[in-house]
Amino acid sequence: MSALEYNGGAIVAMAGKNCVAIAADKRLGVQLMTVSMDFQKIFQATDKSFIGLPGLATDVQTLSELFRFKTNMYKLREEREIEPRTLAHMVSSTLYERRFSYYFAEPVIAGLDKNNQPFICSMDLIGCINFAKDFVVSGTSSRSLYGMCESLWEPDLEPEDLFETISQSLLNAVDRDCLAGWGAVVHVITPERVITRHLKTRMD
Amino acid sequence: TTIMAVEFDGGVVVGADSRTTSGPYIVNRVTDKLTHIHDRIYCCRSGSAADTQAIADIVHYYLQMYSAQNGEVPSVQTAAALFQEICYQNKSNLTAGIIVAGWDKYEGGSVINIPLGGSTHRQPFAIGGSGSSYIYGYCDSTYRKNMTKDEAIKFVRDAVALAMSRDGSSGGCIRQAIITKEGVERLFYPGNDLPVFWEG
Repeated sequence: MSALEYNGGAIVAMAGKNCVAIAADKRLGVQLMTVSMDFQKIFQATDKSFIGLPGLATDVQTLSELFRFKTNMYKLREEREIEPRTLAHMVSSTLYERRFSYYFAEPVIAGLDKNNQPFICSMDLIGCINFAKDFVVSGTSSRSLYGMCESLWEPDLEPEDLFETISQSLLNAVDRDCLAGWGAVVHVITPERVITRHLKTRMD
Repeated sequence: TTIMAVEFDGGVVVGADSRTTSGPYIVNRVTDKLTHIHDRIYCCRSGSAADTQAIADIVHYYLQMYSAQNGEVPSVQTAAALFQEICYQNKSNLTAGIIVAGWDKYEGGSVINIPLGGSTHRQPFAIGGSGSSYIYGYCDSTYRKNMTKDEAIKFVRDAVALAMSRDGSSGGCIRQAIITKEGVERLFYPGNDLPVFWEG
């Protein structure tokens, strides 16, 4: 089994009308055995941006700590928070630094920029950025997620509708994947606030 | 896959999850792993779906011929011996873990486990499939001799539900069959209707 499938996990992010949403499952497994149903894969980078990290769990944790360090240093030097687009390039450079002994994670970034415009992107494990206007997916359920998102997403969804759409995309995709599921968390980011909801899912 | 069979006074209860996978992808989430072999004999299939389906079809054929030619209902032991012959002689080409269970007039309820190598083991209860690893302790500590039919049903349902919660290759819903002298009763528990245990 490849390193990207060893622990399992799935992440999706979507853009709506003046809002973005990012969602992930909560499973941590060792191949086919489930070890935790409470494993965090989405990390808050700034007030209005989040990084989702699916893949090998040790790299998920190492990278989340590395990005916390880098965004803190950015804030100290620049005396302002990092913009989502800049954060994406920083993550990309960090991954490409390890071009030949790569981190086993394929990040997803979602946030609102300083003008509250939605920003989402995903990356492969060596840092190639995919800038998308609609949705991005990553993890062991990515193929099923592409199918769900392609059929359910429409432009200019309001925050409540975006929440429903992203939740159904994630839930139905991970229900066809043995390595993802066992609980889910969804963050909806609007200019005023971030709403975090934990979903009750199939636990099999 | 998680499969299980338990003997009680008057028959057997067999149970299984409903997930079939191809690598990480769930090909069928409502599979029926409890296969009719004869009127009062069922088998629980684990391992390669293709192998176990082919073997079950062959044994089903042989038991039809047996009852037609001998004019009597085959015993569970006979069915198990047929499975054994196929599984043992072709062991290098097969991946099949089968539990044979049913009712016959000589023994009442019988459960016979046939793991990968093709050996047979008559047991009061048997578990199999990848999910069974997670419930050996639970089953050993919960099993009691001389369970009633309802106790056996609950035992199977709780054990399979626990295995489905931990094993990535098991899930979906739980199917059960209760085999007695009177006949076969099939039970079904949808995925949202399963017993819920500690979930962190």
